Amino acid sequence: MLIKLSGGTLIDPANGIDGEVRDLYIHDGRILHEAPQGERPQKTYDLGGKLVMAGAIDLHTHIGGGKVNIARAMLPDDQRSHPRERTALTRSGGGHAAPSTLAAGYRYAEMGYTSCFEPAIIPTNARQAHMEMADTPMVDTGGYAMLGNDDLLLQLMSEGVSQEVINDYVAWTLHATQCIGIKTVNPGGISAFKFNARELDIDERHPHYPLRPRDIVRTLSRALAELGVPHPLHVHASNLGVPGNHSSTLATIEAAEGFPIHLTHIQFHAYGTEGDRKFSSAGAEIAEAVNHRKNVSIDVGQVMFGQTVTISGDTMHQHANRSHAHPRKWTCMDIECEAGCGVVPFRYKDKNFVNALQWAIGLELFLMVDDPWRVFLTTDHPNGAPFTSYPHLIRLLMDRTFRNEQLAQINPDAAAMSLLGSLERQYSLYEIAIMTRAAPARILGLADRGHLGAGARADITVYRPSDDAERMFGTPMLVFKDGQVVVEEGRITAPVKGSTQVIRPEYDRAIEQRIGKWLDRYHSIGMANFRISDEEMAEGIGSPVEIHACRPRSAA
Amino acid sequence: MSALTLRLSESPRQRIDLSAFTPDRLDGASIADIQAIPLWVGNRQVATGDLFEVAGDDVSDIRIASNSDRLDSIGAGMSQGRIQVAGDAGAYLGRGMRGGEIHVSGNASILAGTGMTGGVIRIDGSAGDFLGAALPGDRRGMRGGRIEVRGNAGDRVGDRQRRGTILIAGDAGDYCGSRMGAGTILVLGKTGANTGFGMRRGTLLLGHPPELPPTFNDNGEWDLDVITLLTSSLAELEPPFGTLPQRGKRVRRWLGDLGYGGQGEVLVWS
Repeated sequence: MLIKLSGGTLIDPANGIDGEVRDLYIHDGRILHEAPQGERPQKTYDLGGKLVMAGAIDLHTHIGGGKVNIARAMLPDDQRSHPRERTALTRSGGGHAAPSTLAAGYRYAEMGYTSCFEPAIIPTNARQAHMEMADTPMVDTGGYAMLGNDDLLLQLMSEGVSQEVINDYVAWTLHATQCIGIKTVNPGGISAFKFNARELDIDERHPHYPLRPRDIVRTLSRALAELGVPHPLHVHASNLGVPGNHSSTLATIEAAEGFPIHLTHIQFHAYGTEGDRKFSSAGAEIAEAVNHRKNVSIDVGQVMFGQTVTISGDTMHQHANRSHAHPRKWTCMDIECEAGCGVVPFRYKDKNFVNALQWAIGLELFLMVDDPWRVFLTTDHPNGAPFTSYPHLIRLLMDRTFRNEQLAQINPDAAAMSLLGSLERQYSLYEIAIMTRAAPARILGLADRGHLGAGARADITVYRPSDDAERMFGTPMLVFKDGQVVVEEGRITAPVKGSTQVIRPEYDRAIEQRIGKWLDRYHSIGMANFRISDEEMAEGIGSPVEIHACRPRSAA
Repeated sequence: MSALTLRLSESPRQRIDLSAFTPDRLDGASIADIQAIPLWVGNRQVATGDLFEVAGDDVSDIRIASNSDRLDSIGAGMSQGRIQVAGDAGAYLGRGMRGGEIHVSGNASILAGTGMTGGVIRIDGSAGDFLGAALPGDRRGMRGGRIEVRGNAGDRVGDRQRRGTILIAGDAGDYCGSRMGAGTILVLGKTGANTGFGMRRGTLLLGHPPELPPTFNDNGEWDLDVITLLTSSLAELEPPFGTLPQRGKRVRRWLGDLGYGGQGEVLVWS
């Protein structure tokens, strides 16, 4: 079947197209610029005056893995008070801060998103995480496996093994867990928490292993660069949420020693200690560091006001924040000695000095990092806010008047301590398209999406232009997934299932002996059950893998 | 003006959420409006008029007549007026109620009065489990108002109750008053196992000696003026609650649950 998208205005930063009126064709789920010879379109959409972009990609959203289920179980009222009723096409779901898989998938599609990436998959829980993502309809998914607090890596590094051995272990982890990237959360800190450390700065020695977080960041970022994994090490830095943590964030950037590094939810890591309350914005320092180092990319983790739930592998800092839980319940736990899990419900209040300043710091970072290819639009769903607030966030970035109106509502002391009021930048549609489409595809190595070039996967979102960006991005006119219309006027018209995006760097199979022995000796499951096969992904889990290309391997 | 009457035409196979029919939510609605209100029956939506015979026009006085125990959330969130149920009520009777009065001539199912902050619920028959208790995940159950049960109540009466009064003429099940934070529960009949388990504060006033967890301390017998105050405040109710002042003010007092702060009291008429 040939579909013609006629006369739309294309915004396609990956191909340098900004507002060109052009016809597109969709054939076999792919985008074409010319109709194939002798074929006439069976269906034509007249998109005159409409904006056409690639489907949006969220590279950091907690939609799978045990911690989301724990949050759901802890907050049944979140489901009760936000029901989503079934329709003839869609199933019932619900939830706001920790939505059900179905509600999350539907809402993402309704906002024009076609791919979502779960950033914190504990390797031993990868099977469950993929099952949960397979149950999230409408979007393609992928995950980042967590390393850096697992005893095997720390043990290998403490033994002083060569970088090649580490590289093999990292590559094996990507294969075994069917992931597309590696994340490290509070490197070494989650492990140190179990040795009763309550903080671990970037240059502090781990209480048991002769290692510093700096060593872990360097080793892992180097491993990914050498393996040719497109996505840099995804780093949740040390000292999350601690006033004055900007210095350890800057040190983390240095620790990569020039290897590509992605600092995630950097808003939570950009705090100074100025002012009467010893809490201030270090947004300017962080933005300057990012602007000057081309190996660094960030996503913001914007805070929005209202009820949400924070879910993180960083037990050390979730434990420290437990007294702020709202409603007053929380949990922290170890997960099979590989990492941790902390769930603390939270309500960000606009009249609260700290929360208001967090909101302002996030926006400062968006506006002060110059290169939209290296800053990504996230709320660290649901930690800063549920992903459903993205349209509102986009309006804050695109509309200075609206932003300043909101700034006038927040805690005045926080507003006075922020540079936000003086920042005049307004994001263009082109820049929004970069940060929500082109850049995430590029940084994840997804050549087939995030753009509208010939041959690209036909994940396309069509918007009605509007002065109100929140309305425009909240209810797209049309969304295509793999060439099929799945959303019209912000409502699901065809429920579909996605696939799992993975990467397969080469490695020396000899490492499996060492890993196998480790699993047999210390773990709850052995090698054969640990790894997830392609057949299991397709048949049992129900989300077949799509393998993306590695970059050429660089010399170790 | 005559009372708005909803008569269930036939017994539904699925549960029906009746939270739409409160004096607050029907304010200003005509009969035609009410007949058009969509209701979920299982996974189907059905117009009210197809399930109920609707008559009358006074939405502040609602009568529900049914032979089904599947009508859930009757009077949920209501703040004024009166609802009378001829027959049984389903789950969540008066959930989050803020004021007004509900009277059920038959039995009520689980979680009656959960999260209520004001008003009165009167149940002539028996109540199910979790009477005045917290919904799963909620940190507080009943927070005000009064529930009167002429028959028996199930397990976990007043679980996580925070304020308000629950009066039970018959027996209560196991874990009566569990995890209570404050408020008053009166049980004239017997109570089941582990009465008061996890009580932090609050008062259980009982007609029969309870089976308490070992973490309760016996304080002996006392003449407590607060009993006089409590029972005289109920004097205008119908018996057996209205005649409680005759029982006097001498009670045996137990304090607990010591595993949870131990400031709750269990008082038993001597």
